[in-house]
Amino acid sequence: MNQISRRVPLVDGVAKVTGALRFTADLDVEGLLHCALVFSPHPHARVASIDAASALAVKGVHAVFWHENTPARYYNSSIWFAGQEALADERMFAPIVRHVGDRVAAVVADTEEIARLAAKLVAVEYVSLPAIFDPEAALLHAGLAMREDGTPTFMNPVAYESFVRGDTEAGFAAAELVVETHITTPRSHHCAVEPHACIAKPEPDGRIGILSPCQSVFAVQAVVVQALGVPQEQIRVTKTPIGGSFGGKAEPILDPLCAFFALALGRPVMIRYDRHETFTATRTRSSVMGRMRLGLSSDGRILARETETLVDFGAYCTGGDYLPSSMLQRLVRLYDVPAERYRGRAVYTNTVPAGAFRGYGSPQIHTVAEITLDIAARRLGIDPVAMRLRNLVGPGAIEPWQGLDVGNARGRECLVRGADAFEWEARRQMGTGRGRWRRGIGVASATHINGCYPGFHEETTATLKLLPDGRAELVCALHDLGCGADTTLAQIAGETLGLRACDIAIVPADTDTCPYDLGTRASRMTYICGEAIRRAGVALAEAIRAAAVLELNTEAAGLRLEAGAVRRQDGSGLALSDLADRLVARGVELPAATETYRAQANPGSYAAHFAEVEVDRLTGCVRVTDYLAAHDVGRAINPMLVEGQIHGGIQIGIGYALYEDVALDRITGVMRGNSFSRYTLANASEMPPMRVVLIEEGEPTGPFGAKAVGEIATIPVAAAVVNAVNDALATELTHLPLVPERILAALG
Amino acid sequence: MTALAVVAPVDIAALRATLAAEAGPVRFIAGGTDMLIAGRPLAGTGLLVDLARVAGMAFISTDDADVRIGGATTVAALAADCGLRARIPALCEAAGQCGSVQIRNRATIGGNIANAAPAADLMPVLAAAGTRLALLKNDGTQYEAALCEYLPDSGHLIMEVILPGNALLPCSAFVKLGPRRDLTISRLNLAMLAEFQNSHFGTVRIAAGALGPVPLRMHLADAALGGRKLEPATLREFLSALATEVDAAIPGRNSQIYKRRAVAGLGLDLIAQAVGLSPRDRLFEEAVE
Repeated sequence: MNQISRRVPLVDGVAKVTGALRFTADLDVEGLLHCALVFSPHPHARVASIDAASALAVKGVHAVFWHENTPARYYNSSIWFAGQEALADERMFAPIVRHVGDRVAAVVADTEEIARLAAKLVAVEYVSLPAIFDPEAALLHAGLAMREDGTPTFMNPVAYESFVRGDTEAGFAAAELVVETHITTPRSHHCAVEPHACIAKPEPDGRIGILSPCQSVFAVQAVVVQALGVPQEQIRVTKTPIGGSFGGKAEPILDPLCAFFALALGRPVMIRYDRHETFTATRTRSSVMGRMRLGLSSDGRILARETETLVDFGAYCTGGDYLPSSMLQRLVRLYDVPAERYRGRAVYTNTVPAGAFRGYGSPQIHTVAEITLDIAARRLGIDPVAMRLRNLVGPGAIEPWQGLDVGNARGRECLVRGADAFEWEARRQMGTGRGRWRRGIGVASATHINGCYPGFHEETTATLKLLPDGRAELVCALHDLGCGADTTLAQIAGETLGLRACDIAIVPADTDTCPYDLGTRASRMTYICGEAIRRAGVALAEAIRAAAVLELNTEAAGLRLEAGAVRRQDGSGLALSDLADRLVARGVELPAATETYRAQANPGSYAAHFAEVEVDRLTGCVRVTDYLAAHDVGRAINPMLVEGQIHGGIQIGIGYALYEDVALDRITGVMRGNSFSRYTLANASEMPPMRVVLIEEGEPTGPFGAKAVGEIATIPVAAAVVNAVNDALATELTHLPLVPERILAALG
Repeated sequence: MTALAVVAPVDIAALRATLAAEAGPVRFIAGGTDMLIAGRPLAGTGLLVDLARVAGMAFISTDDADVRIGGATTVAALAADCGLRARIPALCEAAGQCGSVQIRNRATIGGNIANAAPAADLMPVLAAAGTRLALLKNDGTQYEAALCEYLPDSGHLIMEVILPGNALLPCSAFVKLGPRRDLTISRLNLAMLAEFQNSHFGTVRIAAGALGPVPLRMHLADAALGGRKLEPATLREFLSALATEVDAAIPGRNSQIYKRRAVAGLGLDLIAQAVGLSPRDRLFEEAVE
């Protein structure tokens, strides 16, 4: 092994830390115009009139756009391919605004400063309409979500998912203990360092080129096409380097506007949000109200489970209608539950839209389930680790909803080895202490998917080609979000070709030059794209060996690729650059290989997280004092990046448990947590020592045995922390985040 | 429309001359950590006087009876000054917990006072220390006023912050409670100056921040400790006094229920720091058992 299991530095790391990498807002585009938006101060209102005269009178202003002079086409910003069925309820600018921060108008000007100044001069008259902020109240606004003519009604529920397996009533009747919980999870924000930005520019051939820090160029293209009503071939999208996303940039929010303005004005246009706008006018994680009823035997075996979830996805559906089923999908592949009943609904409220966010429903549902399980363990007097071991699925289990094989599922190993490394048993014996500060430990298990199989389009195509300098070019519509996917995938390619990761030249994702790919979502990069790249690499290696036969006067079977060269068994051979030279000299095309990989499985990644906390009973402040994360990753292609993903996941999860909430006012709909001074993240000094245990048992369907880690890293964290707090205080806290007020209130 | 003019006087004489010559509105900027942040529109007209380069406005003088601090002295300089730490460690402690490293390097003591944020971390210490300010009017006249008499809207420039020597006490402490420990805005902060010898308090002065628009002197808490032995019964009376003070300061506010309880933990931390004990000392545990 040359590249696999190696701590290879990020292929773009130096460019990032030296500032050489140019992000979208840094790009120097000739003739670029700038845009500023006008946002609604009302949670629900009809735009009675817009007077743009004063704004248009400002020198340097080119145009003002609003609902009367932009396409009145409904679209859904979460679609990822053309023609995808999804509830289309969003417009560039609508005559009715549906949340504080909804788009009302846009000013395009020579500079951003002029545009922002003129935006303040756009006079808007609103007629207030009744607003709904509470998801349970939203259920009363009941009706079909769409009229027959395709017009959205904004009635609820938008989504409904149910599932029944076995006889739950018999299970509950046989149970020694029945636990019922009501758990709420907050609206949290992605907080990527780079705010949202997009550039669109007219091309000489009449097309529009979009430069977008996105998670899928094809999704951007599909949404823009739907919003503008232009032919797909008129829109070209190129991914630009991205300063973090976490799902926040999965949906093209600015791109349709930017493309339309560029088309209308015949000039390149940039929109970039500031931090406040990124908080109030993009996306959040959906909040979930979960009710769970769990029936257990005296030894901790789950006999029956009933789950009800209510998802608040805010003002526009985006991908929110998938959430009830996504949560079900992840819920049923963790424990072997003989009798299960699930009902999930999703509703509109007049709040900022929710969207994709690391885990896509998994953090919510596992938080609900794992807190409930811990409460049950405490009431039964059973060790929470032992209880989980009694119920976890094992390798080859078939999950009951879609009937998928969970693959080489190693959740048990995560628990056993994690508990051992964390010294769980010894810490449990220590107790919580007495007095003001109480210590507690918590554990949570989790699982997550690997790709979208059996959904549509879970396939990708990778092309690897030998370059004249002996490196290889990789074309695969890759969207590294800053997590190191490019590096990991370059390692996979390098491994097959005897090259280093830095020898793989990755072509930026581009709708013109790359074959279709779903993009970075659903924890599919390493598992799906990695396997396509591995197969393309194997095929290219074969082609290179075949091409070298003549040059080295030997049989292909006796050749191997190693350290940038093709070698005979005795070690002699040719550098790949020399081979390329000779092939070019002979007029032979340089070897290339293209492989399309269609997923045949969707195994589970598994994890068990362990947290120790200290709680101040006088102030209600919680400090996470120690943390260990055990992950079933199949195989770590790059252990350093895997650990980095887990560390970042813990940071997001601690915030989810203790601090993070955009705090939408239940009276006005105004977001109070709309800046970094008002939205509390776990910063460096709040982070505990973190240890990572990797379980590398190999997933047969994954590239070199690898499975995903990106999303699951954050999924069990909040539950582990909350369970530790409940252990410390002997409470049953279930409403996140556990801000000090909630903790003191629970202490009575 | 007259644009905003910016001047950067090089010394105090130039500063006085600048102010004397200006008939219109004058605003001052030093570190700019409040004025320049996004979301706060900068004034479009008038005169903006940059104090960051005025020689003689940034100093800490602790050798004489009174401690004198130049209005443009940075918070980082306060946190790091050994002389100041010897005279009033609470001010160094408050400065060290104010904002982030970057904020502390730019923010000034004058700005912390003039910006008048309810949660300003230096303010309770200054209030407990009986601070006086040397203020400069636009017409060039300079006068002294007690901190509690200072009106931020007056536009008078804070030239010096004076901590009268006769009000400084041997022990002092500052503690704060925010959403997190570091880089956090105080939801509640407490400062204390005290005499403490042979396990007994002498004079005690306590002030709290984030309980109102200006720091709140907590006279009931002073009285609960003043002249008393440091023992659980005293601490219990002290905690009761703190809760009473919070109730009186923010009756009916959403935060009252939380702050009246949390002030107990903060109060014990305050005393522990002032007398050099661990907050986990048995004494404090007994006080709340």
